[in-house]
Amino acid sequence: MQKLEVKVKWCGQIYELELDLDEPTEVFKMQLYSMTGVEPERQKIIGKGGRVLHEDTDLKGLGLKKGFTFMMMGSSAEIPRAPENQVLFVEDMTDRQLAETLKLPAGLTNLGNTCYMNATLQCLRSMPELHQSLNRFSSGMNTGYPQKNLTASLRDLFQQLNQTTEGYSPFVFLQMLRAAFPQFAQQNNHGFMQQDAEECWTEIVSSMKMANIPLPNNDSSSSSSSEETFVDRYMTGEFTSTLKCDEAPEEEPVVTKDVFTKLNCFISEKTDYMTRQIDDTLKEEKVNKNSPTLGRSVNYSKYTRISRLPEYLTVQFVRFFWKSHIRKKVKVLRKVKYPLDFDLTELCTDELKEKLLPVRDRLIELEKEKLEAKRKAKITKDSDEKKELEEIGYSSKIEEIKKLVNPELAADVGSNVTGLYELCAVLTHIGRYVDSGHYIGWVRKEDSSEDWIKYDDDKVSIVKKEDIQKLDGGGDWHMAYVLLYRSKKIE
Amino acid sequence: MSEEDLPLKNELEMLVERLKEGNVDLHRPTLESLRTLIRTSTSSMTSVPKPLKFLRPHYATITEVYESWLPSDNKLFLADILSVLAMTYEEDKRDSLKFRLQGSSEDPGSWGHEYVRHLSSEIGQEFNHRQENDMESEDLIELALEIIPFFLKHNAEADAVDLLLELEIIDRIPQFVDEDTYARVCRYMASCVNLLVPPDDCLFLRTAHTIYRQHNKFTEAITLAIRLGDRDLIKEDFDAAGEFDALLQKQVGFLLGRQQMPMLIEDEEIQEILNNTHLTKHFISLAKELDVFEPKTPEDIYKSHLENIRPGFTSGTIDSARQNLASTFVNSFVNAGFGNDKLITIEDGNNWIYKNKDHGMLSAVASIGMIMLWDIDEGLVKLDKYLYSPDEYIKAGTLLAIGIVNTGVRNENEPAFALLSEYINKPIHQQRICAIVGLGMAYAGSHRIDILDLLLPLVSDSNLSMEIASLAALSLGMIFVGDCNGDITSTILQTMMERDPAQLKESWGRYMGLGLALLYLGKQDASDATLETLKAIDHPISKQVGVLVEICSFAGTGNVLKIQNMLHICNDHLDKEKDDDLHQAFAVLGVALIAMGEDIGSEMALRTFNHLMHYGEPVIRRTVPLALGLLCASNPLLNVLETLSKYSHDNDSDVAINAIIAMGFVGAGTNNARLAQMMRQLASYYHKEPNCLFMVRIAQGLLHMGKGTISINPYHSDRRLMSPVAIAGLLSTIIAFTDAKTFILGRYHWFLYFLVTAMYPRFLITLDENLNSLPVTVRVGQAVDVVGQAGRPKTITGFQTNSTPVLLAHSERAELATEEYIALSHVLEGFVFLRKNPDFMEEDKD
Repeated sequence: MQKLEVKVKWCGQIYELELDLDEPTEVFKMQLYSMTGVEPERQKIIGKGGRVLHEDTDLKGLGLKKGFTFMMMGSSAEIPRAPENQVLFVEDMTDRQLAETLKLPAGLTNLGNTCYMNATLQCLRSMPELHQSLNRFSSGMNTGYPQKNLTASLRDLFQQLNQTTEGYSPFVFLQMLRAAFPQFAQQNNHGFMQQDAEECWTEIVSSMKMANIPLPNNDSSSSSSSEETFVDRYMTGEFTSTLKCDEAPEEEPVVTKDVFTKLNCFISEKTDYMTRQIDDTLKEEKVNKNSPTLGRSVNYSKYTRISRLPEYLTVQFVRFFWKSHIRKKVKVLRKVKYPLDFDLTELCTDELKEKLLPVRDRLIELEKEKLEAKRKAKITKDSDEKKELEEIGYSSKIEEIKKLVNPELAADVGSNVTGLYELCAVLTHIGRYVDSGHYIGWVRKEDSSEDWIKYDDDKVSIVKKEDIQKLDGGGDWHMAYVLLYRSKKIE
Repeated sequence: MSEEDLPLKNELEMLVERLKEGNVDLHRPTLESLRTLIRTSTSSMTSVPKPLKFLRPHYATITEVYESWLPSDNKLFLADILSVLAMTYEEDKRDSLKFRLQGSSEDPGSWGHEYVRHLSSEIGQEFNHRQENDMESEDLIELALEIIPFFLKHNAEADAVDLLLELEIIDRIPQFVDEDTYARVCRYMASCVNLLVPPDDCLFLRTAHTIYRQHNKFTEAITLAIRLGDRDLIKEDFDAAGEFDALLQKQVGFLLGRQQMPMLIEDEEIQEILNNTHLTKHFISLAKELDVFEPKTPEDIYKSHLENIRPGFTSGTIDSARQNLASTFVNSFVNAGFGNDKLITIEDGNNWIYKNKDHGMLSAVASIGMIMLWDIDEGLVKLDKYLYSPDEYIKAGTLLAIGIVNTGVRNENEPAFALLSEYINKPIHQQRICAIVGLGMAYAGSHRIDILDLLLPLVSDSNLSMEIASLAALSLGMIFVGDCNGDITSTILQTMMERDPAQLKESWGRYMGLGLALLYLGKQDASDATLETLKAIDHPISKQVGVLVEICSFAGTGNVLKIQNMLHICNDHLDKEKDDDLHQAFAVLGVALIAMGEDIGSEMALRTFNHLMHYGEPVIRRTVPLALGLLCASNPLLNVLETLSKYSHDNDSDVAINAIIAMGFVGAGTNNARLAQMMRQLASYYHKEPNCLFMVRIAQGLLHMGKGTISINPYHSDRRLMSPVAIAGLLSTIIAFTDAKTFILGRYHWFLYFLVTAMYPRFLITLDENLNSLPVTVRVGQAVDVVGQAGRPKTITGFQTNSTPVLLAHSERAELATEEYIALSHVLEGFVFLRKNPDFMEEDKD
């Protein structure tokens, strides 16, 4: 029996033990097992000068001295295993997978002064319901009705755009557009000319209206008849106007109802805020009309309120006016502020207001609570926990609000039930004249409150909310021309 | 002529007249008064002294008078005076010296400083003249030795050294220096070395070394011994230090440890110092002291919220293998040596490993080694489980990690050797090469013969792939860096001759060449025979390797002739189709490698690179940024940053990539804010180009290496010593960028870990006698070159006062703020022992 006191260094600690030189190394390892808990087969014991002890190593042959320090490598940690779900890397994905996972949508190539069309299309594309509707639209592109053809090609274009991340060239659509509306095929000696995006917008919307594209399928269960179309339900509102004769107050006011697909925001030298301006315009419009009682043409005051709010509301800034002496449409550069959250209840008829107010008030209250909670979370810094706590109360409140929704409005497919809108797309123009400069589409990114997507033809990039607020004009920067608001969802 | 001058002139003329006369009795007093007149006027030499000016017309006359006299005391006396007069009259005739030698040989210093200087310059000229004509010059040397003490006494050590250099008797200077003068003499001599031609440079070092040893200045002496690369001398100094003072020996031990000089000592405590065992402990305590111990995530480094454009890629949940790989490297460099991070050494670190792909997993596991750097005990425990992984890449990565953990520190159990040597001969490719490289890193600079036996067969076996052979050669080069090992040399040369030319053409050839070149690092002419042999190989590789060997041999010498050689190579405009142009790339690197470590040469190299960038071929343009990175490693000079920033937007994407990584090298471990800003801007600029973005990320990681505490500059100890191991690591990494597509951007990104041998904390830690940290106040400021300046000039400028431990940037110096302690090392860098100053008096507190 030859015993020797040795040390073993492991994990920064030194273990002292008595080593029996006659025994095989197994015994040594078992001794260490009892001290460190590392299984013998996971132990690597290193002697002097880098000699690893194997099963057949003769301990006596090592020439050990008392107090010699071994080094042990080993741990009881679990052997790493590959995770069950293999990670899929960007580098291995196909274009299509990429487009689906990245959610950074494709841009449209400029085919020669077609940015007006590209910007318009990208803005229209921000309506998910439109995609669904178009997908249910089965007409082909050879119908003989140019508007129908255009709508069909729009459908195909949207489908293709969803499957790529590269820039896409909308040749077919452009061809259809020019076939349906020859004014867009105007040329000068440099090729096709720049066009007014707003005109393009209006024409596309009107084509879709003509093509009678059906409602998105999720509403199929409701009572809506097949006659009802997307544009009518989702994009068209209704005005109720009262016409009063200024000179004959005793004359019975005439009440009329008109439909609209967009609100106009005229810009005078007093205009600073979009909401105010629209309100003022609607409140008092002077109309010259033949009075049945007076029998002559006199001034009437027209007082207009909104009696139906559509899901999607288009607002146009009337920025261009015809300057006759230079024979050009000139842009008004005035800065007009527009809200990201747009409350339209004040502009509604009293009847509609009554239906909207309960939901609206509660919703605004809730919004405030949410902001407050967020602010508090920021101060305390442990945002996750707070948010969760907050959300428990939040979701029940949402349910509560949903119950408040007026049943009549709820039945009206494609209408707004809260009176509240949020901005979802902006079409901007940069330049001084309508037929020059450059158009860009800015669209709110889905599932993100901060990020927006900027579609500069085929250059697609992410921008922040703050950048969108800078598009209100007053300089030579990109300037909002058409705004697309969507109803605030209760969620 | 003024009124005062007229009497003087008349008097002088009268004296000259008297000499001409035959009245011998009058000669003596005449000469006396002449001497007085001259001596009183030569004290200031801003203009020609009046007496000399007035005597000028009579110089010829006096000479004639002198010739006519018979030998006598008076004649000797007159010779002295003529010698002084000749100083201002006759150029290039060395009359001063001639008369001096004929004169009375009285103390030349009595005639003033200017005279002595003039004399010494004439001695130099005369000596050269006599050498050419094979004449004896004993008398000159005698005179010179007479002058030397005068120079030394009057703060003119530069003149003294120069004179002795010219007379080729510099080795005689030790007998003249004393306690007051030796330091200045040695400092001057040491700073001359770069400008001297061999063998004078070695002679200077040796002489200065002798002086230091005479005065028991062991740290200074051993610094010079290391520069000489003389192992026997180092050992001798080390032992002598031990006899003189045990603590001083430990201090010397730290210096050797920093230089990674292997040495076997009985004393366990000193062996631990030599093995750098304390490095991890002190580094972590430094981190805690400076409040940087908390691990950082890659995102903390990128600060992508500050980047202008937010690319859609990063915000999403989708994983990019490229970007994850970059994060792996960033994470490893940033948290290097701290032993903690937030990605991989944590509980479920596995997940991160599997977020990398194939070779990326290898790098991910190897990054554990980097994070646990220098801490062998803990590191091996963390790594152990991965050795049992079924995945080949993970296992290979573990082997590499074991090598990395052991880099720069030694342990007598030799765990790296124990664990890695098993895999050297196993036919599993990936594990094999990682084991080879791991050994190379762990034992860099150790000159271990047992590893030689293990790896050398891999180099010579022509059945093995070029990859294995080359990496084995490289590892041997790193282990035997600067050793001139004959066996390895002949084996590598043999392999190059025998291998199939097609194999040599592979990208791997350069690493085999580098392995050979590293053997001769800093050895100057010792590589001559190898260079000759290389010429015999009939393959383009001979040219490449030839350049590599040459630049390594002269690394850090500042040898102007060699730099010119390299520039000549860059001059050729080769047709890439017909000729191989890789050697030009190495030549560009060579300019930086040779010039580095010497300020003027570096400055010149920077200008040269500008020209190369304008007029060079693509291969040269691609290498210039790398050369800049090498030249200014961890030294973010503003102009270099600006230049690289410009190149980083180059049209040639290879130039851009190399410029970006060079920015990483230049800023490595400095946290330079300006560079960080540039990087963020680059990240936005390249957010759609994965390769460039990858490089930007890595460069960002390098910039924040060790959270700003680790440097990769190969120079240390007041920029006097070049660490060969560090050079080896830097070069291995940089050479990978001469073919970035194959190596770094391909499957060999883990070559970035070669940098580990160059990584060392840029700290100053003051220790008491028991190796415990001893905080004292120090001043840290920009180093000032005080060589040859009179008096006791300040050695630092623009300093701040801090308490140790402190960080030192490149070209910064520290000095103790109070005299309470005496430092045992002449350079306050790394680990420094302090000892109470017995003469210290506490300042009055009231």
